[in-house]
Amino acid sequence: MGNAALREIAVIEEVPFEDLGGSVVAVDAHNWLYRYLTTTVKWTASETYTTADGTEVANLIGIVSGLAKFFEHDLTPVMVFDGGPSELKADEIESRREQRATYEEQLETAREEGDAVAIAQLESRTQRLTETIQTTSRELLALLDVPVVEAPAEGEAQAAHMARRGDADYVGSEDYDALLFGAPETLRQLTSSGNPERMSLEATLEKHGLTLEGLIDAAIMIGTDFNPGISGVGPKTALKAIAEHGDLWSALEARGEHVEHGDRVRELFRNPTVTDEYEVDTLIDPDIAAARAYVVDEWGVDEGEVARGFERIEASVVQTGLDRWS
Amino acid sequence: MFKAIVSAETLSSALDSVSVLVDECKIHLEEDGFTIRAVDPANVGMVDLSLDAAAFESYEADGGLIGVDLSRLEDIAGMAESGGLVQLELDEETRKLHIQIDGLEYTLALIDPDSIRQEPDIPDLDLPASVVLEGKDINRSVKAADMVSDHIALGVDEGEEFFYVDAEGDTDDVHLELTTTELIDLQLGPAHSLFSLDYLKDMNKAIPAAAEVTLELGEEFPIKIHYGFAEGQGQVTYMLAPRIQSD
Repeated sequence: MGNAALREIAVIEEVPFEDLGGSVVAVDAHNWLYRYLTTTVKWTASETYTTADGTEVANLIGIVSGLAKFFEHDLTPVMVFDGGPSELKADEIESRREQRATYEEQLETAREEGDAVAIAQLESRTQRLTETIQTTSRELLALLDVPVVEAPAEGEAQAAHMARRGDADYVGSEDYDALLFGAPETLRQLTSSGNPERMSLEATLEKHGLTLEGLIDAAIMIGTDFNPGISGVGPKTALKAIAEHGDLWSALEARGEHVEHGDRVRELFRNPTVTDEYEVDTLIDPDIAAARAYVVDEWGVDEGEVARGFERIEASVVQTGLDRWS
Repeated sequence: MFKAIVSAETLSSALDSVSVLVDECKIHLEEDGFTIRAVDPANVGMVDLSLDAAAFESYEADGGLIGVDLSRLEDIAGMAESGGLVQLELDEETRKLHIQIDGLEYTLALIDPDSIRQEPDIPDLDLPASVVLEGKDINRSVKAADMVSDHIALGVDEGEEFFYVDAEGDTDDVHLELTTTELIDLQLGPAHSLFSLDYLKDMNKAIPAAAEVTLELGEEFPIKIHYGFAEGQGQVTYMLAPRIQSD
């Protein structure tokens, strides 16, 4: 989930939802769903989201209440999923299953070879969400007319790419690594109660007199999703080392340290695998009756768990904003 | 520089029409009168108000900008007796507004205009239908609709030539038709849009019963509500975004 030590470096401010109204948020969908999954599983009786054959679909409860939050504050979410097929069609679900099998094979190989970077990358794509959760999440989002983008690799990198291209106003992620992927502005705490936090790349770089490359190098010393970092090196030490020695290699050399696959991790942040091939229709027109039937009738989720969320969606999405006409 | 004397009633009418949408606003103190433009935090309802210098007993200004807490200023204006006058004077140094009402002096701390929500751009809308009616007919429509629903449909029947109001509740419905004989004027055009009663009720509160009100409407488009106050020397235009049915 990124490295929380980056928080000490990042420039973050709390921002009221009302200041964000009308914005498009490219959400790191796995990160977002995972948050809701853990809270739903923690606080809700498992019978309410487990089908007769024992399949757990807690994600559906999470999506309903999570989207209500976006819509109520006039935020348009674009859900960006980690690497997978581009559209949700029956034959493609099969291809995603195959892809997942491929990832798992690759993961096996990576483990055998002890390739830490590949292990970290593949684990995040294979283990966090089950196949059922992958499929049902996309199907429910489609019924609610929420745009979905399939990233070629890391969803977070793709979301940052979309924000940089101006197709989203913010990246939505709890992960501080969003900064390293170059997300200009990231909204955190979209899944918690209370106001979100806004993390700004430009302000962060300015504050420390860094370039994005320098920030990435400092983060690699501290540790990222893809490398463990140097033991005993925290944000202060890393920033100082990069400022003194210019870049990662010189800084490491001066300390007599080594970061395994440092070059690959660096490349992963500097030139992540992303695509310009996506289409986003931000005019959302959800079919609430169909979505409710899908969650309650088709997947047998306890109606009481989603009634309030659907009501909130119904009450909010239909009100348009004047900015739509200006 | 800003120095003015205005009837408490005129000042209250102006402030009330803005305070139904926002708590704080910027007031532009132009040479020929003051103007206010504000949008509610959800960006659903907007108000554009102007009060000509002629509406004041006396008026002097040179293009300043102040930020005010509306409910505070409304409370102060409410201290005046019926027909009373309010004297306003801006102290540029202290950024305070000195207010005098029948010997009562009130010094109002102003709000930094930069801290107030940005003023909206006014959407440039060409709405096909226009309905002119009395404020009391709007009041009646809104009140009736509010008994059964949270929203209200406003539209024009081009064939039968009437303006209509519809509200559908879980059990009860309200329908009202106003023909050209009951309306002051009707320009036919395709019009049917649904609006939140929460907003329309608030706007209705500010509209005087005797005012001549112009509604401009389209199909699933914002509504423009236009009326005058202070003998036509004050003008208010509301704009309200529609609700769009999701299925």
